[in-house]
Amino acid sequence: MGPLWLGMLPFAVAYAVTARASGLSVWETQMMSLTVFAGASQFAAAGLFAGYGAAGGASALGIVATTFLLNARHLLYGLSLSRQVALSHPQRLIAAQFLTDESYGMVTVRGTQEPGGPSFGYVLGAELSLYTVWNASTLLGAVGGAVLPSPEALGVGVIFPLAFLGLLVPMLRGRMTMLVALLSGLGAWGLSRLLPGGLVILLAGIGGALLGAWLTSKKTAVREAGA
Amino acid sequence: MTIAAVIVLMWAVTYPARWLGLNLGRVKLPPFWLAFLNFVPVSVIAALIVPEVLGSPEWLRRLLASVVGGLTVWRSGNLALGILGGFAAYWVVRTLGG
Repeated sequence: MGPLWLGMLPFAVAYAVTARASGLSVWETQMMSLTVFAGASQFAAAGLFAGYGAAGGASALGIVATTFLLNARHLLYGLSLSRQVALSHPQRLIAAQFLTDESYGMVTVRGTQEPGGPSFGYVLGAELSLYTVWNASTLLGAVGGAVLPSPEALGVGVIFPLAFLGLLVPMLRGRMTMLVALLSGLGAWGLSRLLPGGLVILLAGIGGALLGAWLTSKKTAVREAGA
Repeated sequence: MTIAAVIVLMWAVTYPARWLGLNLGRVKLPPFWLAFLNFVPVSVIAALIVPEVLGSPEWLRRLLASVVGGLTVWRSGNLALGILGGFAAYWVVRTLGG
């Protein structure tokens, strides 16, 4: 688990610094980590909040819709986890709050080595340890960031794309994924000259994922026709 | 709408996806929509990165930082190292007046 905690720490600190630079209070920054608890979507929202309420900036609907889209993948983790671990109804209500990419990966990769497979206790233990580290690091960044000079002077704006690039690069396996990433990115850049921030991410995100799904189904159809 | 209210709504759209998945263990999604959900993080994250780099007044510095950061993550597989490497490159260029 150690490497997972160490990986979370700088990301949570960077999220908190970005959120504070966008005008969120320490409490609002922390509240998002306590409730939403989903790194990429929190970071995205932190960036979008920078233009919140201003002309041409992201709207509340844009931020919420982007969050929904980014976190829809948790449906897949839930589907997969529920086939590996038998959970009662109250246990599902609790486990759902703390489910993340990291805890899903942890349970899937390591949990199967447990005698009798992963239990609810194992799942919750993995989830809560990550939750604790994420929230402690958020507090560190939110409070620590307040004593630092202005965001422009520090150049922290560049941390936002850098952190996302760090998440994207390991996902780029195969030509199809690279094509989807390239077209979504360039599409978003083109759209950003015409539309507000939140909507751009939503349109480019849905468009890119539809393209990927369409390319995948076409490839499968060709393979089946050839067999 | 207050920022706190937006955060509560963000929670309200995140939790149900997690809970629903845990309750649908026996349901099979059509392959097209499984693929769609798999591609969403790639397309959304790419859409977040590119306008922040190319649409910025300091786009050239950010582009150089991104190249260094991206290559560092690719070679090392370490997210923190990638952020630090990219940030260092950004500051080298900024200090040199580029």
